[in-house]
Amino acid sequence: MMAAPARLEPPRPPEDTAFPPPPEWDVLQFDGSDRALTDTLLAPLRGVGRTWWTLFVLSALGTLLFAFTITYTIAKGIGTWGNNIPVAWAFAITNFVWWIGIGHAGTFISAFLLLLNQHWRASINRVAEAMTIFALMNAGLFPILHLGRPWFFYWLIPYPATMGVWPNFKSALPWDIAAVTTYLTVSILFWYAGLVPDLATARDHAASTFRRRVYGIFALGWRGSNTAWRQHRIAMVLLAGLATPLVVSVHSVVSLDFSIAQLPGWHSTIFPPYFVVGAIYSGFAMVLLLILPLRWAYGLEHIITKRHLDAMAKLTLVMALLLTYAYVVELFVSWYSQDPSERFTYFVERPRGAYAVFYWIMITCNVIVPQIFWWKRFRTSVGVLFAAGAAILIGMWLERFIIIVTSLDRSFLASSWHLYRPTWVDFGLLFGSLGQFGLLFLLFVRFVPFVAISEVKRLRHDLKANDGRELGLPHA
Amino acid sequence: MMSDRPRSHRDLALSRREFIHLAGASLALAGLDGCTRMPAEHILPYVDNRPELTPGVGEYYATAMSLDGVATGLIVESHSGRPTKIEGNPEHPASLGASGPLEQASLLQLYDPDRARFARSQSTPTSWEVLAAQLAPAALRPRVGARGAGLHVLIEPTSSLLDEELLARVIESHPDAHIYMYAPLVGDRGAHGIVTHYDISAADVIVALDADFLSSGPFHLRYARQFADKRRLAQPTDAMNRLYTIESGFTPTGAAADHRFAVRPSDVAGIARSLQSALNGGTAGPPWLAAMARDLRAHAGRSVVIAGEHQSNSVRALADSINDAIGATSRITWRAPTPLIGEHVPVHSLTELVAALRTRAVDTLIIVGGNPSYATPAPFDFSVLLRSVPNSGYVGLYENETARDVRWFVPMSHYLESWGDTRAYDGTVSIVQPLVNPLYRSTTSAEVYAALAGMGLVGSYDLLRSSWKRRGNAEAAWGDALQRGFVAGTQFARAESEGRGSTVEGPGSRVAATSNPIDVLFVADPKVHDGSFANNGWLQELPAPLTQLTWNNAALLSPTTARRLGVGNGVHIALTSNARHIELPALIVPGHADDTVTVHFGYGRAGAESLARGVGANAYDLWPSTGVRFLSDVAITVSSKTSALALAQTQETMEVREPVRHATLDEYRAAPSRVGRRPGRALSLYPEIPASERSATQWAMTIDLATCIGCGGCVVACQAENNIPIVGASEVRNAREMQWLRIDRYFAQRETEVEALLQPMLCQHCEKAPCEYVCPVQATTHSNDGLNEMVYNRCVGTRFCSNNCPYKVRRFNWFDYNKHLSDTEMMAKNPNVTVRERGVMEKCTFCVQRIREAGIAAGREDRPLRGTDVRTACQQACPTNAIVFGSLNEPDSEMVRRREQPRSYAALDDLGTEPRVRYLARIRNTNSEIAGAKHDGGAR
Repeated sequence: MMAAPARLEPPRPPEDTAFPPPPEWDVLQFDGSDRALTDTLLAPLRGVGRTWWTLFVLSALGTLLFAFTITYTIAKGIGTWGNNIPVAWAFAITNFVWWIGIGHAGTFISAFLLLLNQHWRASINRVAEAMTIFALMNAGLFPILHLGRPWFFYWLIPYPATMGVWPNFKSALPWDIAAVTTYLTVSILFWYAGLVPDLATARDHAASTFRRRVYGIFALGWRGSNTAWRQHRIAMVLLAGLATPLVVSVHSVVSLDFSIAQLPGWHSTIFPPYFVVGAIYSGFAMVLLLILPLRWAYGLEHIITKRHLDAMAKLTLVMALLLTYAYVVELFVSWYSQDPSERFTYFVERPRGAYAVFYWIMITCNVIVPQIFWWKRFRTSVGVLFAAGAAILIGMWLERFIIIVTSLDRSFLASSWHLYRPTWVDFGLLFGSLGQFGLLFLLFVRFVPFVAISEVKRLRHDLKANDGRELGLPHA
Repeated sequence: MMSDRPRSHRDLALSRREFIHLAGASLALAGLDGCTRMPAEHILPYVDNRPELTPGVGEYYATAMSLDGVATGLIVESHSGRPTKIEGNPEHPASLGASGPLEQASLLQLYDPDRARFARSQSTPTSWEVLAAQLAPAALRPRVGARGAGLHVLIEPTSSLLDEELLARVIESHPDAHIYMYAPLVGDRGAHGIVTHYDISAADVIVALDADFLSSGPFHLRYARQFADKRRLAQPTDAMNRLYTIESGFTPTGAAADHRFAVRPSDVAGIARSLQSALNGGTAGPPWLAAMARDLRAHAGRSVVIAGEHQSNSVRALADSINDAIGATSRITWRAPTPLIGEHVPVHSLTELVAALRTRAVDTLIIVGGNPSYATPAPFDFSVLLRSVPNSGYVGLYENETARDVRWFVPMSHYLESWGDTRAYDGTVSIVQPLVNPLYRSTTSAEVYAALAGMGLVGSYDLLRSSWKRRGNAEAAWGDALQRGFVAGTQFARAESEGRGSTVEGPGSRVAATSNPIDVLFVADPKVHDGSFANNGWLQELPAPLTQLTWNNAALLSPTTARRLGVGNGVHIALTSNARHIELPALIVPGHADDTVTVHFGYGRAGAESLARGVGANAYDLWPSTGVRFLSDVAITVSSKTSALALAQTQETMEVREPVRHATLDEYRAAPSRVGRRPGRALSLYPEIPASERSATQWAMTIDLATCIGCGGCVVACQAENNIPIVGASEVRNAREMQWLRIDRYFAQRETEVEALLQPMLCQHCEKAPCEYVCPVQATTHSNDGLNEMVYNRCVGTRFCSNNCPYKVRRFNWFDYNKHLSDTEMMAKNPNVTVRERGVMEKCTFCVQRIREAGIAAGREDRPLRGTDVRTACQQACPTNAIVFGSLNEPDSEMVRRREQPRSYAALDDLGTEPRVRYLARIRNTNSEIAGAKHDGGAR
């Protein structure tokens, strides 16, 4: 709780406006000057400790594994994976959907919450955005890799080809290309636009000439004038406006990869909202997994506070409930359809078939585990949050795996029923992609201000001006 | 005229005089071209086209393939001077246009890279010419004696008149020499005189007593056609024949049967006796026997009992007397001379050769064809005996087990590259003409006998021509024989109808003297036969009929027996008899006879054939003697070892959906439309194709499940025609087999009987194809004539099309399956079909290359293309004509007429895919007096 500050009396809002009650935890606890705040937030850029190096080596090894398995796959063929007919899609598409899903939380936090004036997002939104970009970079690789002839991947992109053939726009895969490239482009733009003032700060506080020059180049000559700030604000709102619909559209399009097919277990109209919810859900879990160690390692508990953890946990719980609803609707719709294949897939193959163990782990991780967030104690407990985040990520990966593989392995004709078994290459690609993600994220943390300095400072001024209350009023 | 100073362009102006000088000089200098001192090498353009030879267009030649000595007439398509596809010869009595898997796959055997290429003496390379000199009588006499007593020749069963004539000359030259004839499946019986024929088209009721007459044995293609022709059911009210199959294993004849009774091999004789007594009013035997006997009697004169060729003499005698009693003798079944040689040359059995070997009376043993070191009963120890022969030689296709045991070896020519002759089961003579020059320095059996007979080095062609003349045939008839593939009028007349089978008592089978109740049944493998085809990748990868097993043999047993022994699929069991044992993985086959294990010959090879080596277990190791059909005193132990079986299909029942519709004849006649019920038209976002975009021919196919016997000929024909690669056992285990056409197999319990429901499944060419709209690059499109097209060079391999195909008929090139082919294997490829690279999808194209070729021919002849102009590879191979292809716009065509039967339906029709392939539901002409007649949950 802050001491009564010595300052000018702020203008009181009109009496009939109800103030929201003071929050239980402060969204930002910092007593020092702005300069001190800036120093604190730029501290990670000055050097890294042993933990960073350990994780970096691990991630580098993972990335090497990734590079090796990619090369091996392209050189030898998709036969090195465990796919077969009927299970022609397995790990690669699961990984693709999982990674893209993870990316959605970043955009949700930065763009969606920006439009809703949730300023508490300030300290975590850059991490979330970066997570989105790195997740998308991983995700974008898998659709190319899983092609039988990946060197022709560009045929899915509409360009005037000498063959005179365009992609088939009735298929969901060219839509995927459009969605993912749009998403990646807008995310990078949004992230970078928000980053520019902070790069300028880093430039101004740079220790060496070399760093000053590098940050200076990327800061694009930002001088911090009023006009610049105003234009910056407008640009961020516009980009947020562009990015927000993508939260819904991109994963809807990805889910259409499945629902336009006629397989039992895929052919369901609930897929777009179901997948979007699942995406944001898994993304929140990944954000938790990222910010908890960061906050511990860099001592940022007063910047990323229990308030943030509490909010994240509540959002996670909401998504879990929506996802549970989607599961129930799926079951109901399949039962109601009276189609024997649909009923078989949902009531026999998934809960009692060859992969039943994974189905029930998925249910536990996605439906049961997040229920602990009804209790405030667990919402702010770092250990519980971390474990729950990991469980949710595993559960969401398994959800995509179950959807893809258990619909393909036992579909209409029993003569083609066959199970799927992953090979070491499949696992190598999955863990390798985690390694690459970690590598990129660690580099990001090392070289780029991962807390939005300007936004946190603005939030601080907001709070000071309003007695520690975050009013959520729009900025001028 | 020119100076060195650079000039401006104005200075280069020529005067008219100078110009004429220059022009004239240039003209004169041009002529200097002709002053070359290079020698003239004249090339000639290919203007002298033979009118019948056009590059890219195939030529067709008739020949014949001899299997166990009996011919099936074939027409072979040849491109650029090499054979590329085998079809049946429609005019040949053994083929009637059809071909089985062995005939189709024999093409690959010609191009087998493991074939022997060089002659050798011990390990020194030599040539046939050198060895032939050593075989001349003058050279041999010092070793084998003045009358040739030490000379022994072991040959494969053959019906070749040429070979017989030459062997007779060998005997003239070496009067005391011995000729032996042996093949494991022909045994020692066929050499002697008389065989049994059937006219299945004259029978309304057939009882097959352990006789797989529809898919194995001589004339099986013919019998299958005759059988199917009486089951067409063009109208529900049409008559239909009835087949009872009594067998131990599950064969295509059992699958085609209206009633199938699983009986232990040791009980077959008892069943035959009971049947005979039942015909006389007795009541012994199982409950269905009396009803079956009543049926036979009710159709007297149009019913027949077929006893399998490998049955003992006593069982065959019983069948003969039953046939006498029901009036089948001479009307439906009769005797005729065997086509195998033995009339003009004394031919002895393998048992006699083994006896001679054991007494060391053999100095020179020449083995022509076959593989006796492998394919002989274990107690004979033939391999050891062979190694002790002072002068042994082998003429064979491969450096196999026999080649290892002999002193000198000569590669044998494949029938597709040899001249010769052979006879069909009914005696019809065919000339075997080569389609390509011998690929290697090989020889034929005729050339070997000619050398032995002292005729020196004479080529098979010359031998054949002179033999032809000597037989009194006209020169003009030679051309006719070559062209048509057979010599008319050479079939045998019937032999005496009272013949009681062969005069030689077959060794029969060991009668059970122990308390161990398990019988072991020895059967030829439907794919590798007796082992001769073990190195044939197409056949190894062909899912075995009914069991769907590839790249292995297994101990087949019934679910009950498996439970009793406590084994599951893949668990090894060891079969021991008389201190010999083999170990095989178990495979459970619903409907298999209880307390019986079926083992197939032909596996466990150990020669140079790289594909065959180490695949499966050698059943000959357990075989006690030639002609033994089953063993009863076998001990079984369960091993702790397991192997993963490469099964093309693991599910045994239809599970959730009902792709195969079936009914009994009574049910069908009572409610014809219920069998082929069609749901209402499903809503679809697919636009209707306007008539202006449809071409005149709209291709479609009808497959009759009542006549499909599951022989697999269509599968291998498709593989041969469309350049489909083989993938190997481990890939098959991972469901990556590449065949475009597969035969789905489901079992259904019918009270005490088990019915097999077979369904050839191929790309359905859906009018509203689910695969087309999901391909992101438009690699699969729809043609104007109704084909679902696959554009290989556009496919990027997302495999979305496979995911959306409910029939799962699309195949993906997971690896470069075609990358490491040998030169000769590449020659087997059909030049009209793309060879697909890694990463592209492929599927049945309705043989689009044949459709387009026919279209071009029609265009050239200025006439419209008719549906009947095109025969797909699967349709052409099918012995029962179960598959018919044609155009929907020809209502009088067979395909459309069949399609309009009440029992026609589309698979998974409620999905709204509108397939162009229609199936005719399987109808069983059941005997209502027999328990298994009801269909529990059949046509709903």
